[in-house]
Amino acid sequence: MVQERPKHKWTMVVDIDRCSGCQACVVACQAENNITINEQRDFLQRRAKEWIRIERYWEAIDPSKPAEFPNVKARFIPIMCQQCDNAPCEPVCPVYATYHNNEGLNVQVYNRCVGTRYCANNCPYQVRFFNFWEPVWPESLRNQLNPDVTVRSRGIMEKCTFCVQRLSRARRTIEGRRGKRITDESMTEENLMPACVMACPTGALVFGDREDPKSRVNELLKEHDPRQAKSVAARGYRVLEDLTTEPNVVYLKKVDPHLKKVKAHA
Amino acid sequence: MQERRPLSDVQINKALLRNVLAAPLWFWGLVLLLALVVAAGAGAAGWMFNRGTGVLGVNRPAMWGFLIVNFVFWIGISHAGVMLSAILRLAYAEWRRPMVRAAEVLTVFSLMTAMLMPFIHSGRPWRLAYWAFPYDFARGIFPNIRSALIWDPSAVFTYLISSSLFILVTLLPDIAVIRDRTTGIRHKIYSAMALGWRGTPRQWRLQGIAGILLSAIILPIFVSVHSIVSWDFGMAVSVEGWHATIFAPYFVIGAVLSGVSAVVTLMALMRWLFKWEDHIREEHFDAMGRLLVVIATAWFYFFAMEFMFGLFTLEPQEVALRQLQVFEWPWSALFIIFILTAYFIPVPLWLFRSVRRNVAAMFWISIMVNIGMWLERFIIIVPGLLRKQPFTFVWGSYRPSPIEIIIVAATFCLVALGILLFSKVFPLVPLAEAKEGQILADQIKVGKKTIPAVMREE
Amino acid sequence: MGVTRRRFLTMAGVSAMGAVIFGGCRVPDREVLIQSPARLPEDLVTGIDNWYASTCHQCPAGCGILVRVMEGRAKKIEGNPDHPLNHDPVLHMSKTCARGQAGVQLLYHPDRIQGPMRRDRATGELLPISWEEARAELVGRLRELRDRGASDTVLVVTEPLRGHLGLLAREFVKAYGGQHMAFEALEETVLREAVKRVFDQDRLPDLDLANAEYVISFGSGFLETWLSPVRYGVAYGHLRQGREAKRGYFVQVEPRLSATGANADDWVYVKPGMEGLLALSMAYVIVSQGLGDQEASRLLTRGQGAQYLAAYRPQDVAGAIGTTPEKIEELALDFAAKRPSLAIGGGSAAAHTNGLFNLTAIYSLNYLVGSVGQRGGILFNPAPPVAGLPVAEGRVPFDRWQELTGRLASGKPRPVNLVVFRGANPVHSLPQALGFADALKNVPFIVSFSTMMDETAAMADLILPEHTYLEDWGDDLPEPGPGYEVVSYQQPVVRPFHNTHSFGDELIMVAKELGGSLAQAMPWNSFKEVLQAGARKLFELNRGSVTAPDFDSFWRGVLQRGGWWDTARRGLARPLPKPLPVREDPQFTAGEYHLLPFASISLTEGRGAALPWLQATPDPMTTAVWQTWAEISLEDARKLGVSEGDFLEITSSNGTSLEAPAYPNPAAPPGIIAMPLGQGHSSLGRYAENRGVNTFMLLQPATEKETKALAWAATRVTVRNTGRRSRISKFEGSVRVEALHEVEIVRVTKG
Ligand SMILES: Nc1nc2c(c(=O)[nH]1)N[C@H]1C(S)=C(S)[C@@H](COP(=O)(O)OP(=O)(O)OC[C@H]3O[C@@H](n4cnc5c(=O)[nH]c(N)nc54)[C@H](O)[C@@H]3O)O[C@H]1N2
Ligand code: SF4
Ligand code: SF4
Ligand code: SF4
Ligand code: SF4
Ligand code: SF4
Repeated sequence: MVQERPKHKWTMVVDIDRCSGCQACVVACQAENNITINEQRDFLQRRAKEWIRIERYWEAIDPSKPAEFPNVKARFIPIMCQQCDNAPCEPVCPVYATYHNNEGLNVQVYNRCVGTRYCANNCPYQVRFFNFWEPVWPESLRNQLNPDVTVRSRGIMEKCTFCVQRLSRARRTIEGRRGKRITDESMTEENLMPACVMACPTGALVFGDREDPKSRVNELLKEHDPRQAKSVAARGYRVLEDLTTEPNVVYLKKVDPHLKKVKAHA
Repeated sequence: MQERRPLSDVQINKALLRNVLAAPLWFWGLVLLLALVVAAGAGAAGWMFNRGTGVLGVNRPAMWGFLIVNFVFWIGISHAGVMLSAILRLAYAEWRRPMVRAAEVLTVFSLMTAMLMPFIHSGRPWRLAYWAFPYDFARGIFPNIRSALIWDPSAVFTYLISSSLFILVTLLPDIAVIRDRTTGIRHKIYSAMALGWRGTPRQWRLQGIAGILLSAIILPIFVSVHSIVSWDFGMAVSVEGWHATIFAPYFVIGAVLSGVSAVVTLMALMRWLFKWEDHIREEHFDAMGRLLVVIATAWFYFFAMEFMFGLFTLEPQEVALRQLQVFEWPWSALFIIFILTAYFIPVPLWLFRSVRRNVAAMFWISIMVNIGMWLERFIIIVPGLLRKQPFTFVWGSYRPSPIEIIIVAATFCLVALGILLFSKVFPLVPLAEAKEGQILADQIKVGKKTIPAVMREE
Repeated sequence: MGVTRRRFLTMAGVSAMGAVIFGGCRVPDREVLIQSPARLPEDLVTGIDNWYASTCHQCPAGCGILVRVMEGRAKKIEGNPDHPLNHDPVLHMSKTCARGQAGVQLLYHPDRIQGPMRRDRATGELLPISWEEARAELVGRLRELRDRGASDTVLVVTEPLRGHLGLLAREFVKAYGGQHMAFEALEETVLREAVKRVFDQDRLPDLDLANAEYVISFGSGFLETWLSPVRYGVAYGHLRQGREAKRGYFVQVEPRLSATGANADDWVYVKPGMEGLLALSMAYVIVSQGLGDQEASRLLTRGQGAQYLAAYRPQDVAGAIGTTPEKIEELALDFAAKRPSLAIGGGSAAAHTNGLFNLTAIYSLNYLVGSVGQRGGILFNPAPPVAGLPVAEGRVPFDRWQELTGRLASGKPRPVNLVVFRGANPVHSLPQALGFADALKNVPFIVSFSTMMDETAAMADLILPEHTYLEDWGDDLPEPGPGYEVVSYQQPVVRPFHNTHSFGDELIMVAKELGGSLAQAMPWNSFKEVLQAGARKLFELNRGSVTAPDFDSFWRGVLQRGGWWDTARRGLARPLPKPLPVREDPQFTAGEYHLLPFASISLTEGRGAALPWLQATPDPMTTAVWQTWAEISLEDARKLGVSEGDFLEITSSNGTSLEAPAYPNPAAPPGIIAMPLGQGHSSLGRYAENRGVNTFMLLQPATEKETKALAWAATRVTVRNTGRRSRISKFEGSVRVEALHEVEIVRVTKG
């Protein structure tokens, strides 16, 4: 008898009010996903790869004056692939190197990529990174490489995968071997939450299955769905929502008790 | 408007086959020079294949740069051949005769050169097997037909095949002429290529029909090719400035403008290099100049519309992009050069008959137009990428690397080299057309004046 | 084997490639091995992994970690979900920081010292030798000095040691008769002293940020590197959004907008060193309005009430502090009203000549709002569960290094004949004006146990490379702890990657070979034995997180869980308030600009510089990487005519001078130059060497008045535009980033 695979819909909730900009997620992702060492020249060339990055925006406290001391504050926002349901990167790829799977993931098949870079042009979130150079590690550092993750050669596009290798492992060990449903608890116990989520000290990153009614992401989404809750406590929104990319990363707004001017923006 | 000197068939053959039968020394010198630059370009590309696309100036967020700009440019140039041959042929425009062949050849070589660009751009062309060719049916790996990058090679290949056919069909009678004037191995090769052309009335009729038919078939292809190339950009919903609905016709007309200008350049060169004053005459430049005024103005209309459409929406992103393109250094300088060279200098000049009939002036103006049109593509493609959305955090800049500059320079030499070598093998002005023109020439009296005229082709 | 499809494709690929290459340039073979494009990352699963619990040693916090090991190779570090220091009780996960994540790169660093080496006298070259030879050399020298009665000229320099390694070092030095000095570049001496004075505590307290309603932090970068940043990060998450319908309010008081300050609801600028005065002025407001706890107010003011603090009325001192009287009042009123509230201080607030005054004034504020020993306030740590286990063995303040430098230079009162370095790199991290590196050259024999060839090791005559913490045994008492008894364990998660030994084992072996009283004082065979002997005492307590019928099960238990802890044994101290200190202003030398060095979030004071992941970790505020930069206010940048990347020549009041590219920072206050620490290594492997400048070099060797700790924030500098420029390597794009209001990325709601 063929068994139905349980349905999943992977979702990340990012609470900007918690994120401290500490960069733990950035290094954790680097360590988990065999991302090449970003050397100084990569930064100077603007080719550094950070599947998750912390963007820092300066903002004027009083928007009518320039953002300069003392009228300035800074805000952090972690940006990774938004795993769009309606991903603009997908239809443009001529070889299906990037496609959508039935768990809501935008999957990147490195072996297929021919290096057109079209998808990176068309990703509104700028989270696709191209291997302009052959990745090199000193021999000894290769010992650290994660065998679950393909090492990308040059000419290949890469990006945050929601740590798909951990999800596969979860499917195999939790669902396959133990016949249990993947839950927040079981993924946490097995260290199978995405690497950035596991590291994030402040708990700004929350990951889970929207198909699991008891998951924390579901709770958060319900609590913060702006269409359902009326109060300002409903902080959920998706970045560049008006592009109708339908991201699977939901952000919870920063709270600012001193906000000078509340922007009315849908 | 036929200001020709009546020439005999022998004179025509002699003049037009001069290069084919016995090329002068400068010819080989020029070939060598161009070949050196092409070799430098090939070396640069090879260096890139070996070291990685990192040697290019492209970076995040501008993942496309000079090579893609150059791709669009050469696709644009390739529109000249068909524009002139097919439209003018279908319209029985008598003055087309001397430049159709050159224009068609320009089409084929610029198309081939254009297609090199994405191949080089990807950095690992050997991987393109499963981009262009679906090879792994068993495991369900197909090309993604939703991607404009699948439409694009399909359209360009089709265009290349049909234009090559077009040239071959029109070449047959000329090949036969060369066949009859050569000996030995060359004779054998030309014999094979002539496909048994004997110049029988039936063969002439079939050749004529084939020409007209291919013209008719090629026209929609020609429109589609640059439309599809425009969709390489138009389909990218996330890049500001790339998705105006007017892109397809705008790109087509822009292609025609740069292509026809390139033909003018070519005409002048042929006239000077091969001393074909009898065949490529001032009247032809005059006619091209008139045509260009119309094309350029139509193009300008589309350009203005595209720009306006961007601003119509009043979306901050679109407005910011236009601001970047027009007011911010260095785009402002490029923009001014572009708009002046592509329209505001050439068109007023072309309005003067004396300019249109001045071969040197026409030559330099046509080159200027193409500088402008190259910049046009650059200004469309790159700034949009630099500011493609409100993530100011990752806004960047783009500066071409020497590798890109060398490759781009080499493509110009490659096209020139191709045409030059072609001229060594086949006549660049169709013998048959030239002779037909002589036969059909006539003079009619209008009032007191006698003006040249042609008899209608059938 | 016939031609398979794969092979056919490979060959097809090869011949296709033939068409594109020419002129002898060759495409690497693997380029043409077309891998199956049908294999999806979703389907890729390999191997079995093992997870070992251990302790992070990338910074002194001592978080519990789990290391993922596959086929004998350490792959990934995660937090140990059981470990009390860095766990998130709600998410049931333990957290790590960027530095903790990078531990595996230390293990596999290509420039690790691979085995013992001795300097060849003639050539000055370091040549590999065997461990036996190396140890014999060290033992020979130690024996010779002891026999000469010069054992007091032997100096052991380490990082501050905790747990049994500290005990071992103490025993060794005591039995041998040498001296032990622990070096800490950004020392917490002032904080320790303040905690002792204000709270009568020997151990650093736990800060209950998670349950506070209002937090005011004076200069402590608790979300970056200060003390236990992961623990505080977890707590900060809860402060913000961890509680139902309640969001803690957070104020950061500091002269430069740090990454921690960027997270504050209110960043309050104060002039450098004026933090304590602000605290006193807040106390004045609270006391004068009767908002503070009665008894505490009385004790803090010697019973005089507001009168005692009359000199600190906001309107009188605001100017000196650099803020407004209204702001001081607002802070005081909020602090008093939004309880539980918490006042903490450290970092640059402590690093002035008046650092102790600042910190005592700041921490005393907690008494006014009843936060001492209370939920949402300052919680105390109990004494270690096993008596005598050190939490900071050998730590000495800066003046002792000054003294030592003098002794090294002059040979008086006693010369130093042999120095052993372990885990400390004072050559890099002591101010240049001190002249430590030069003085060290006078030592006839230098031994280093360093894992990496750092600047200090580069001066050594004998190098005995020790294991990394992922290859070695160990234990740790996190300092500050989580408020109850904790002993963390560290175990080798992989076999040693190089020919290295454990420092603990070597101490024991050397003692054995030296024989005599030393061998008697250290009767063990290995460091693991020492640990087990210590663990046996925990086992015998028969309480806490691991109890077992026999010691073997207990030992397995603590290793599996990564440690032992007893949540029932909390620090229950109820100290009484002592009178508030009287105003003391910081002292600076001359100089137009104030230099504020700050610890890099990834390199700390420099130890992380060897690791490429950490070099490539963007600074949160500037996103700069792989280099040193100088943050300057936009106003000063205009004044000096500098823009980003222009090299500034920064000259300290003591004459030392460095050049660093300017980063005009919109949040930087005029008059302040902020520079990260951590770079400027002349030695420390390929990723660290010759990059950036060493900000420590600029520092004026000023000390905190009472504790004699280095006042590292007390240096004044002059700044000159050199006219040279380069691009700053950073992640941020090339356009000045301001949030676009039209299309918001970061959305904000009113609190
Ligand atoms: N996917 C999809 N595509 C479709 C369709 C569909 O159903 N689905 N429908 C198709 C159809 S039927 C149509 S009609 C087209 C419509 O396609 P568009 O004509 O592109 O329609 P809109 O996006 O509604 O409006 C265009 C812009 O006009 C701006 N605008 C609004 N008012 C004014 C004004 O007073 N002055 C100026 N200058 N600008 C203004 C708006 O801000 C908006 O940016 O879309 C077609 N495309
Ligand atoms: S964020 Fe970008 S890369 Fe990710 S799915 Fe969306 S469009 Fe694709
Ligand atoms: S770069 Fe790779 S993934 Fe992106 S569109 Fe091109 S082939 Fe597809
Ligand atoms: S989910 Fe995984 S791949 Fe994505 S950013 Fe986090 S760690 Fe990186
Ligand atoms: S780890 Fe968490 S808190 Fe730190 S930067 Fe990443 S998302 Fe923000
Ligand atoms: S805070 Fe220190 S101990 Fe904890 S994970 Fe980071 S580096 Fe390791």
